Amino acid sequence: MAEINYSSADDTVLVRAAQKEDMGAFEELVARHRDKVFARALSMMRHEQEAIDLSQEAWVKGWQRLKQFQGDSSFSTWMTRIVINLCLDQLRKQKRRHMESIEAMSEESGGVERQMPAVTVNPTERLERGELRQRIDRGLERLSHEHRTVLVLHEFEEMDYKGIAKAMDCSIGTVMSRLFYARRKLAAVLADLKREM
Amino acid sequence: MKISFPNFMAWLIGALLALTTVAARADAGDMKLEVQLIWATNDKADPNPKHKPIAPEIREKLNQLPLKWANYFEVNKVTLDIPKGESRKAKLSDKCEVEIKNLDGGKVEVALLGKGDPVWKRVQSLPNGDVLILGGNAPNASAWLVAVKRIK
Amino acid sequence: MTEEQQLKLQAFLDGELPEDETREIISLITRDEEAKALHAELKNTRRAIKSSEANVRLPEPREFFWSKIEREIQKLEPVVESKPSVSFFDQLRRLLVPMSAAAVVVIAGFIAYQQMLPVHSTETEMAMADSSAFTYHDYSAGMTLVWLPFPAENDLAQNSAPATIQ
Repeated sequence: MAEINYSSADDTVLVRAAQKEDMGAFEELVARHRDKVFARALSMMRHEQEAIDLSQEAWVKGWQRLKQFQGDSSFSTWMTRIVINLCLDQLRKQKRRHMESIEAMSEESGGVERQMPAVTVNPTERLERGELRQRIDRGLERLSHEHRTVLVLHEFEEMDYKGIAKAMDCSIGTVMSRLFYARRKLAAVLADLKREM
Repeated sequence: MKISFPNFMAWLIGALLALTTVAARADAGDMKLEVQLIWATNDKADPNPKHKPIAPEIREKLNQLPLKWANYFEVNKVTLDIPKGESRKAKLSDKCEVEIKNLDGGKVEVALLGKGDPVWKRVQSLPNGDVLILGGNAPNASAWLVAVKRIK
Repeated sequence: MTEEQQLKLQAFLDGELPEDETREIISLITRDEEAKALHAELKNTRRAIKSSEANVRLPEPREFFWSKIEREIQKLEPVVESKPSVSFFDQLRRLLVPMSAAAVVVIAGFIAYQQMLPVHSTETEMAMADSSAFTYHDYSAGMTLVWLPFPAENDLAQNSAPATIQ
């Protein structure tokens, strides 16, 4: 096999080499995309150590399934899908009920957020990046895992409603409602509205 | 410069045999170990006032490892003198105890004890000056470390 | 605005609204202040969310993270023998012209090497047999790190802060 300069090779070359069991090539892919995979897991799980563990597991799964990667999407997208599926499995196992009962009630009643006036301030202009990130983190934590998942799949994975419905095994209508609810809730947190306090 | 081959070989083999003898002697006999229980954290201070930051020397050692924590605090430190073939225990906290046996040839058997019984054990070479660190996760994204340093 | 209109507005923003309904929503956004404000809010929120992952970094060094992955991959596959330490032998061979003399020196040198340095191959076998622990060696620094699956209980740090990850 010809020597590859891993650090300068593009992902396609590295993937091809890794598919032929070149661990050095796979290590370089891990180094390049580990932050993105971790960020995705952290968005889903809201727990750093769980996100690290699931990222690690995703990479091992990635190695196992590498020969199935055909290049239909970018390698990093393929990996983030793997980690999201692992996160979904983990969340189902954990059956977190922290906020779900409250949010389920809220949804059944028609959703407070549907009646809420629109937030007119653009948070990305008003807030410092660090503060914005903190507010978003806080907002994401307050969502149930179903609402958070819809948001992550739509905003980060750029999946369409149909794809999300299939991934989450629910109707497109449910996807739309959850996405709307999640966005409005986040908007309220970003604007520092105190209605939940 | 021309050197006769037989003389060269005699010199080389002699030197290597001498080196072997010295090396073997250095690892034989009694051992002195410094065993520390360390709390690794990103918090700037340890809430327990009895715990002080670790010594710079061990800090430098830990910085060479791929560990993610910014700060290390000494919870307890014990020095053990272990004659060859014998073992000694170090009780580092209510729930952390290690037992170390001085084996032949500069090796140690390190056991982590849980309620007095070994829960994990390992044989490891520990030349003079080397450090063996055992670690595990602790609450709030921190970690516990047991550093075993051979000082003699 | 009705619930249905709100969801259609969102679908319009996401590019998911059928074409025959798009005109209706555009008209709504143009003439209705509430719809206009909601459209802006959803757009701004979407922008804010997308920027939130930008600076997230995995809080473990590259080598440490990779070594854990590599170890798990190796568990999946048949055990591969650790590579022999060839560099020392190669260096010795370069010094010696006659092959018979080289064999004598290699043997003598190998004995001295084993006496002075950690028995690498033996320790590697032990680390692999002990599958609950992860081992990291830095021979040049004289350091060995063994990571164990035994988390400490709260009394180690006596930290009263709640365990939250922000």
